[in-house]
Amino acid sequence: MIGRLLHTLNLVLLTLILSVVLVVAGLYFWLSQDLPQLPNNLQHINLSLPTEIYSSDGERIKILGERHPIVLEDISPFFTKAIIAVEDSRFYRHSGIDHRGLVRALWTNLSQKRIAQGGSTITQQLSKNLFFSFERNWVRKIKELLIAFQLEATFNKDQILQAYCNQIYFGSGAYGVEEAAQVYFRKRAKDLTLLQAALLAGLPNSPNNANPFSHYEKAMKRTEYVLNRMVREHLITTDEKELSLQSNIDLVNPRVDSDPNLYFVDQVLEQIERDYGKEFVHFGGLKILTTLDSHYQKLAFKSARNHLEALEGKIVKEPGAAPLQAALVAIENKSGAVRAMLGGRDYSYSQFNRAVSNNRLPGSSFKPFVYFTAMEELGYSPATVVVDEPLTLDIPGTEPWSPQNFDEEFAGKIILKKALMKSINIISAKLLNEVGPEKVIRTARQFGIKSPLGKNLSLALGTSGLSPYEMASAYSVIANLGIYNEPYLIQHIEDFQGNRLYEHYYQGVQQFLPDSLFPLLNMMQGVIDEGTGKVVRRMGFHHPAGGKTGTTNDFKDAWFNAFTKDISASVWVGFDNNEPMRVKPGKGLTGASAAAPIWVFFMQKVLEGKSPVKFPVPDKIKFATVDAQTGYLANEFSLETLEVAVKEGVDLSAPPVLPKNPEPDETGLLPDPVGGPMNPKKSKKRNVVPDP
Amino acid sequence: MKFNGVRKSWHVAAGLIVLTAVLSLEFYTNLFEKSVGYYLKWQNHKRPQLGRMWERDRQSLVAQAKIKSIRSSLDLQEETALGISSFKHLFEGLSPGFPLVVSREKFLQLYYDFPGPWSEQIISSYDLIEMDSTKNWDRVFLKRFGPWITLQFIDRQNIPIHELFLSVDTLFEVQATRTVKRGTLEDSNFTTNRIFPISEFLPVLKSLDAATQKAVFPEPRWFLGKNYYVTRVGISDVPAEQPAQHLLLGVEYDTDYYTGVLLIPVAMELANNMMSQIEKADLSDPTSNEIPPSSGESP
Repeated sequence: MIGRLLHTLNLVLLTLILSVVLVVAGLYFWLSQDLPQLPNNLQHINLSLPTEIYSSDGERIKILGERHPIVLEDISPFFTKAIIAVEDSRFYRHSGIDHRGLVRALWTNLSQKRIAQGGSTITQQLSKNLFFSFERNWVRKIKELLIAFQLEATFNKDQILQAYCNQIYFGSGAYGVEEAAQVYFRKRAKDLTLLQAALLAGLPNSPNNANPFSHYEKAMKRTEYVLNRMVREHLITTDEKELSLQSNIDLVNPRVDSDPNLYFVDQVLEQIERDYGKEFVHFGGLKILTTLDSHYQKLAFKSARNHLEALEGKIVKEPGAAPLQAALVAIENKSGAVRAMLGGRDYSYSQFNRAVSNNRLPGSSFKPFVYFTAMEELGYSPATVVVDEPLTLDIPGTEPWSPQNFDEEFAGKIILKKALMKSINIISAKLLNEVGPEKVIRTARQFGIKSPLGKNLSLALGTSGLSPYEMASAYSVIANLGIYNEPYLIQHIEDFQGNRLYEHYYQGVQQFLPDSLFPLLNMMQGVIDEGTGKVVRRMGFHHPAGGKTGTTNDFKDAWFNAFTKDISASVWVGFDNNEPMRVKPGKGLTGASAAAPIWVFFMQKVLEGKSPVKFPVPDKIKFATVDAQTGYLANEFSLETLEVAVKEGVDLSAPPVLPKNPEPDETGLLPDPVGGPMNPKKSKKRNVVPDP
Repeated sequence: MKFNGVRKSWHVAAGLIVLTAVLSLEFYTNLFEKSVGYYLKWQNHKRPQLGRMWERDRQSLVAQAKIKSIRSSLDLQEETALGISSFKHLFEGLSPGFPLVVSREKFLQLYYDFPGPWSEQIISSYDLIEMDSTKNWDRVFLKRFGPWITLQFIDRQNIPIHELFLSVDTLFEVQATRTVKRGTLEDSNFTTNRIFPISEFLPVLKSLDAATQKAVFPEPRWFLGKNYYVTRVGISDVPAEQPAQHLLLGVEYDTDYYTGVLLIPVAMELANNMMSQIEKADLSDPTSNEIPPSSGESP
């Protein structure tokens, strides 16, 4: 009976061994094509060079693919002991697989009917980290095991442990123990205390759940568990454990993930990836010098944050609604260099770059392009008289369009400069109707606007979406008196040896003549000095500047785009879901109240300590004070006067006063009445009143 | 029967002993893992480079290849720029959309290498000194845009210190004031009776005022610095194509490898004047270097 039992047992065991051998052989031949080759040296697995991104003022704003591989001697022995105790206590005794651990894991998995426990040794984990995906399945597990066997056969234990310590993920973006020590304790891995080492050793198992920055209690529980494991494995004494638990862990503050530079960095990376490929930037070990001024960027962030916080307290908002957002772009006029780019109020909350990718309706801030086209095409000047009155425009195939003014009032006869200063919608609609949307679109393209623009009359009121990046660039053409510099983000790119691989060269194009553009610039100065943007002056900004506010229907978007001699900046404020920014029924945030203060806070700090710089006046420009209603040179009877800048050839003098009953001249026609409607085509160089 | 039973038991016991030995061996020496590990190590080179690590390696290689290709392209551009031998080549090499960058040193070399005062028309040498005084001038960025050529004198950060625009027409027009050709004066259609040894021409040249000297003859450094040995000069008997009312003065020189001619358009009146003076000198005293002052007569 016993003999039979032994015989059966013998057969079973033999069959088992044979099965294992056959299964392993079969698996090997099945998987051999998918098994990866091992490198000759584990020290080289971390050698891809990091790419560094710098601001124009020399601050390193981002490192990509940063690794800090170190040798085992540079790692605190507390850490190596702790990681062995908690991850693989029989590390120095097995050859890639821990029999006991495996049986334990098998039992757990079979009893739970799922892969609940890995039972992976350090070698297996390294094998997985180096070659395999993180999905849990048996085939991947077997491959991982086979490679673990090979790792053990090829490298010694210290080499494996060192590679493991340099590879594993510790949460908070830290790969490798050196970086983890920096992230959590701002110290070198060799200087870790027992408690700190135990905390780090507990992280690879659950880098997010036991992350001390977000789950401090859990992290400390895990640390205690690691210390207990160390005691059980006789790696430390109970006294040492107790002593360390009483010590201070000295956890530092987490790195700020809401770094506002990251909106700009994302844009830089996108551009390089598009031009040169992903590998080039992430594995090239490059040094990228950008145009960003980190000081400006901080100011942009602070200005937006402070003002948005103030606005949040005023606006009516649904509970739990998304926060109010802002975007800001500042461009250096003479070069096109983007000096600041804020894509949102908090990068950690939302990485969507509203400065570039968010095309929102610009509202009235598009009007300067309409006015400029009218002045160029119809021979109008800032002193040309137009009539602000109810208007209905027939649009073939649709309902007639009746644009409304923001204040729903009409100013009557008014000169162009005043109309722009007051941002009168009717006048903008009239001008676009006269000149045609195609010509306005063509002008906008010359200003560098690339977004699609609707070929319709409502374009006059800024109904085609634009980004702050485009607006800042287009406004810089005005500040530059017609020279368009393509905005750019990258100054140069160097390889790791310092050889320049890419350089930006200034390539300004004179799109418009200075004397054509200066009248518009002067009109936009009027907007800030006495128009819808006068909040800028009220807030104490004294530098010469020109700009334009913009507010869209229902207060959904608030814009302020403006420039000084050197910098053009565009600010947008609004909700991501296009909700109105209402303060109370019928009232809401406008470009002047929501966006302009951010512009002022930002520019005031940017220009702090700098002397005001006037815009250069082209040779063929003359200044004159005109009557704001007739557009003729002001006299003692003028009720309201305004200084305008016009081209030299523009005649601003009033025609002689006519007798009460004028007689026909020799042509048989009556002379034009003063200030009366005139054919604009006939009077290129005179003040004209367009036929409504 | 009994014997069979004993033999069976012995087999079982032996089997168990072997099994125990194998299991013990595995337990204490990890024989199985080591065997598989060493077998895989032996087969390592036959297996493909798959997985995350190799992928990273491959991407790194792709990046390095890209960097190498960019660098060789830039090196080629730099070599091309270094190989430019004259302003003529520099400007002719410019095409719209393909800007060119030359170093400060190269620009100065070309600037002073032009056989005539034409470079001064691009930018005055005093302006160059002024620009250089800030020690910022690093390179010159040239680009062609329609009929215009833009020259930006840039600093190390590529910020323009000085910018100027030249019309392509003007450039080519002025460049025509100095033409270099391979061959002798005869090859350039100069007639024998209007060709003179340099020794006969130089006294006449010396007699001219400084401005006229510059207009008709390059700085002697141009020949001396290049080891060009000036041998003869000739004055053409047919008007030059550009500009009008000009004759060509040809200066023949020998180099170590070939003979070349520098052609300079000279106002017809001046050319004839020089011609008459040379002939007069020939008639009066062929050995004398003394040239009588110009009579001021037109031939």
